[in-house]
Amino acid sequence: MRKTLDRLYLCSGALASLLIAAICVLVCTQVVFNLITRFGGRSVNLTIPSYGDFAGYFLAASSFLALAYTLTRGGHIRVNLVLSRLPAPLRLISEVLSTTLCAVVSLYATYYMARLCLESHEYQDLSTGIIAIPIWIPQTVVLLGMSILSIALIDILHSLITTRTSTIDSNSESATIGHGSE
Amino acid sequence: MSDIATTALLLSLLIIMLASGVWVAFALMITGVLGMALMSSAPIGPILASTIWGHSHSWSLAALPMFILMGEILLRSRLSDDMFGGLAPWVGRLPGKLLHVNIFGCAIFAAVSGSSAATAATIGKMSIPELKERGYPESLVLGTLAGSATLGLLIPPSIILIVYGVATEQSIARLFVAGVIPGLMLVILFAAYVALVSILNPILIPKEQERYSFAQKLRASRRLIPIFLLIAGVIGSIYLGVASPTDAAAVGVIFSLLLAWTTGSVSVQMLKESLLGATITSCMIAFILTGAAFLSVSMGFTGIPRNLAAWIGSFELSSYALLAALTVFFILLGCFLDGISVVVLTTSIIMPMVEQAGIDPLWFGIYLVIVVEMSQITPPVGFNLFVIQGLTGIDILRVAKAALPFFMLLLFAVVIVVIFPSIVTFLPTMMTKN
Repeated sequence: MRKTLDRLYLCSGALASLLIAAICVLVCTQVVFNLITRFGGRSVNLTIPSYGDFAGYFLAASSFLALAYTLTRGGHIRVNLVLSRLPAPLRLISEVLSTTLCAVVSLYATYYMARLCLESHEYQDLSTGIIAIPIWIPQTVVLLGMSILSIALIDILHSLITTRTSTIDSNSESATIGHGSE
Repeated sequence: MSDIATTALLLSLLIIMLASGVWVAFALMITGVLGMALMSSAPIGPILASTIWGHSHSWSLAALPMFILMGEILLRSRLSDDMFGGLAPWVGRLPGKLLHVNIFGCAIFAAVSGSSAATAATIGKMSIPELKERGYPESLVLGTLAGSATLGLLIPPSIILIVYGVATEQSIARLFVAGVIPGLMLVILFAAYVALVSILNPILIPKEQERYSFAQKLRASRRLIPIFLLIAGVIGSIYLGVASPTDAAAVGVIFSLLLAWTTGSVSVQMLKESLLGATITSCMIAFILTGAAFLSVSMGFTGIPRNLAAWIGSFELSSYALLAALTVFFILLGCFLDGISVVVLTTSIIMPMVEQAGIDPLWFGIYLVIVVEMSQITPPVGFNLFVIQGLTGIDILRVAKAALPFFMLLLFAVVIVVIFPSIVTFLPTMMTKN
């Protein structure tokens, strides 16, 4: 179970990073096409249809697929100031309560995201670009990311209660600094 | 007045949640949910879902992972190794000598990375041992590093300006261009301060024997020149309007890969680490932005920002008095929260107030970033202080004391920008004329 969950977080994180690489390739290709079009005269007009839409959808997919991976790597910002000064039992209670709260909200958001996907599917909502993409497809990837985040939060809560230590703790401080982007 | 009571309740709940370790993005989202539940009858769940979707797939936000990736790649290239040797010959004759390496090194790295903590870590790793070995005073070494690393927030491409631009629907290109002159002004202020201190206390600064001819200087910094060109290319193409920030960033990634490749630092492992690092940072910021977007939407339903604006408006403060009050408020907030959280809280709650006071949102973005820069070097929560403590093992309070003069210089810069707003607005105005 432990191994499966860790692999789930890692795989979704890896997929998210591939999507970022894909955005880079997509945008650069379009920039090269723009240059060719500008200097190639009237006969050439190269565009990747709806590339802006695609970049946006890749970004949304990447951001949400990476949620659980980022969480378990201590990448999400939280205020450690008070928490780190609390005596251990109080700190554990505080972490259990806050993680429970986040898990509940995450499940709530996941549920309504699922309803939004179903709605888009039912009404056949399409994107407005040159290539009309059914909106439910990228929305489902966001839903998938939210679901994995909910699983990760419940997983963290479970190990908080059973082992009485936080699984994020060990790398939280360094990760916050390294990736604080401050 | 149940309105005031509810607002106070929401604010206290937000503070309690943040203090007890609720992740910032969730704390913003939960405050939004509670606000809507208490003060409106709108359907919360469907609005939450559509905000999550609606604010996560924008084209301009795609610049964020691109610029972060560019920074991650350059961070792992030999750039930081070349920085000290490449800059030292040029600044050896200035009063304050090699201390300026910290300032200019941070300014250059800030321009490519957009992250203040990464700037402090990368430049500091190289310069702290070098400068200490040569006998430069500790307080100035740490102070210049902590202070100058905050430039990462302002000098474009700046991550925090992308966050502000996306959250307030301002043009990111114009924000970037607006940050150029204030950023350079800060570099000059910092350098002038170091020069002044060295002229007043010449004993502090050790002697440097080496002299270089112009050709030797160029040779020493030959690896830095491509970096300069990269920065100039990215900012220039945005300024001239030939590329959007997202385009410029994506091309910047390719060029930084080429640069890293010429120094032989590209490997599969390095690419993997850069990509995963960029994924984590970008995801963290995107999630906070999602939380903030929902808080903004919810605040729109509750009417709190409108009432707050009307309430502040009833005092008929001059915009100077309002800005003075806001500056104090932001510095206090910045003592406990990270920069991005300060920015998104601002944009979701007090933006209407700022606009009502007739303050230009473009100018306000730059002002906000300079104030947030100050918060990077104030204890107890100042990310640059943490980084430098981690690098040197020197207690955070001592680092903060060394950084205090630079905090005052940043405050001085805020005053200048308030009195002469055209420092910020001049370049973006020129841009529209083109």
